[in-house]
Amino acid sequence: MSGGVDSSVAAALLHEQGYELVGVTLHLWDAEGEQKVGRCCAPEDRDDARRVCDHLGIPHYVLDEREAFREHVVTPFAREYLEGRTPAPCVHCNRTVKLQKLVALADSFGATHVATGHYARLVREAGDLRLLRGRDREKDQSYFLFGVSRSILERLLFPLGELPNKEATRAEGRRLGVPNADKGDSQELCFVPDGDIGGFLSRAGHAPRPGRIEDETGAVVGEHSGIERFTVGQRKGLGLGGGPVRYVLRIVPDENRVVVGGEDGLFTRRLRAADASWFGSLPDAPFEASIRIRHRHEPAPARIVPHESGFEAEFLEPQRAVTPGQAAVLYRGDEVVGGGFIV
Amino acid sequence: MIYLDYHAAAPVIPEALAAMDVARQEAWANPSSVHRAGRAAKRTLERAREQVAQALGAAPGDVILTGGGTEAVNLFLGSGPVRHVVTTEIEHPAVARSVDRLEASGVSVTRLPLPGGRAPSASTLEDSLRGPETWVAVQWINHETGTIVPVHDYAQVTRARGACLFVDATQAFGKLPFSVEELGADALALASHKMGGPAGAGALWVRRGIEVAPILAGGGQERGRRPGTPDVVALAGFGAAAEVLPRRLEALPRIAMLRDRLEVALRDLGAVVNGSEGERIGTALNVSVPGARGEVLVAALDLEGVCASSGAACSSGLSEPSPVLRAMYPEEPWRASSALRLSLGPELDEAAIDAAIAILERVIRRASTALT
Repeated sequence: MSGGVDSSVAAALLHEQGYELVGVTLHLWDAEGEQKVGRCCAPEDRDDARRVCDHLGIPHYVLDEREAFREHVVTPFAREYLEGRTPAPCVHCNRTVKLQKLVALADSFGATHVATGHYARLVREAGDLRLLRGRDREKDQSYFLFGVSRSILERLLFPLGELPNKEATRAEGRRLGVPNADKGDSQELCFVPDGDIGGFLSRAGHAPRPGRIEDETGAVVGEHSGIERFTVGQRKGLGLGGGPVRYVLRIVPDENRVVVGGEDGLFTRRLRAADASWFGSLPDAPFEASIRIRHRHEPAPARIVPHESGFEAEFLEPQRAVTPGQAAVLYRGDEVVGGGFIV
Repeated sequence: MIYLDYHAAAPVIPEALAAMDVARQEAWANPSSVHRAGRAAKRTLERAREQVAQALGAAPGDVILTGGGTEAVNLFLGSGPVRHVVTTEIEHPAVARSVDRLEASGVSVTRLPLPGGRAPSASTLEDSLRGPETWVAVQWINHETGTIVPVHDYAQVTRARGACLFVDATQAFGKLPFSVEELGADALALASHKMGGPAGAGALWVRRGIEVAPILAGGGQERGRRPGTPDVVALAGFGAAAEVLPRRLEALPRIAMLRDRLEVALRDLGAVVNGSEGERIGTALNVSVPGARGEVLVAALDLEGVCASSGAACSSGLSEPSPVLRAMYPEEPWRASSALRLSLGPELDEAAIDAAIAILERVIRRASTALT
């Protein structure tokens, strides 16, 4: 229970259904300074979680997982940026910290399941487990769950997955008298609530290294103050002055270079992914599926060739801004079949 | 519910509840008022003072009534002048943070270690004294491990060297019999909620002749040393609990046996005792369970109806690993994060302890097989 609307309503729904519940807040990060308000891990959020638990009449515990979060999410996040990639920390958090820790707690408490406010669906049929997108296409969070192991997913419940949209979640919250049903959402990362990644990296002690911005011919068109401030597809903040509209096409970390160009340079049919996980067994032949290359992306049809630890894909239509570091998640219809990290 | 967290707070005893009920009805007015309603409140207030003083073997005029133990600590340690403070590494935050503040204002500080719970000897203490304008600020019984330091011996040494001894007696009052004269300290802090009274009441006893400056600015209550209208109801409860202290003290041997029973059971489950190398009060048992996390054990025990604690908890609801255990076992940081504190009191009996043991077995076994 983060103190946010989603986990609060998820708890209230299960409570209504008669489950015996224990509310757990994981303390993952300490907000600094003015960032203390409003998003996960601030004291107010813990208080909100506690109030919801008091309202439901269930126990509430706060458990400290800051060390694991720093080691498995925050430190790799910084490293990815410094290596010219755009990381997907929420994927890593779900895969290696949050859900694992919650399941371990469930074992310690003698609880059978862990429920969260994720917008996703788990379908259990005939001994089979399938992960599906939440009904709300906008809010669907199945993207962030692709890498979670089967043994963990088996213990999870997602009460919000069937709700049609966020407004329905809030309506359920109001119906059940949940204290924070109208609390605002934040779109930012929980550990960088102001969205200023550059600022975050400086505070973490990374000194930015200025370098060159070049176009596709190799001509120098500007200077950058650190490759970590750029992501593929970025148009704003390039500091190139007037001239044609240009986008970041790729980042070359070994040479501390950012390459920019016109919009067509952003489109490609090809994708390579490493560190893949598959729902079910490793496919032994190429197959068709749709790929989502970032959270806010409509899965695009492609032909996937799996291999040892990853896969290659060719999209039917060129896709915009395929970004190294992001997760590429494979869908068949609503069902998640696997995924990997874009190389 | 099996309550094993007496060092955090003890259940309020019937005598205290009864005194508070009466006070609520009769002593709600301002004790500083001249009229009869005020005098009724004043009577109750002064009765409480006398009861606390009597339990200490002290003169009522030397007892300053406060809103709790932390306030009493701050009231003494906030006054000067002082040049050097000798304390330990395992103090309660009220003393530790007060001493930090003194240090920040230029006072030099010696913090004596207690490795494995072995208290510094009187001669070790003596070596660290620097004569007048030296304070010794020590906790008699440690809130986490129950470690006892030899305050009587310290008092002899501080007296001989002209230093001033302040004792945080918040855990000791109600667990060890003493009187202020035979103890020989110069100031004591007490807390009501550790010995059967309600929270929100406490006292600072100060040897006559020692000046204490108020830390709150306000009216002249408590002879100017503690401004503000007191919580007469809570203090009535505190006084009533102090009045029956002898009965509470008599229960200690029985409580110590219950604690020993728990200790044997926990050792059998693989736990190690913290503070075992020194003398411990018979009400406390602090163990570390290898492979488990204290905060998880505490939550799991709570789900089974056992109330216990782990490291020091701060008010935001987070637990930080115990600074006391980190100080006692600097080479073994795992002890602090795996700690479980069980503390006992007079309301417990064998049946409760046996039931707790069964639950502890279940919880600790589950914690060792859980994925981490």
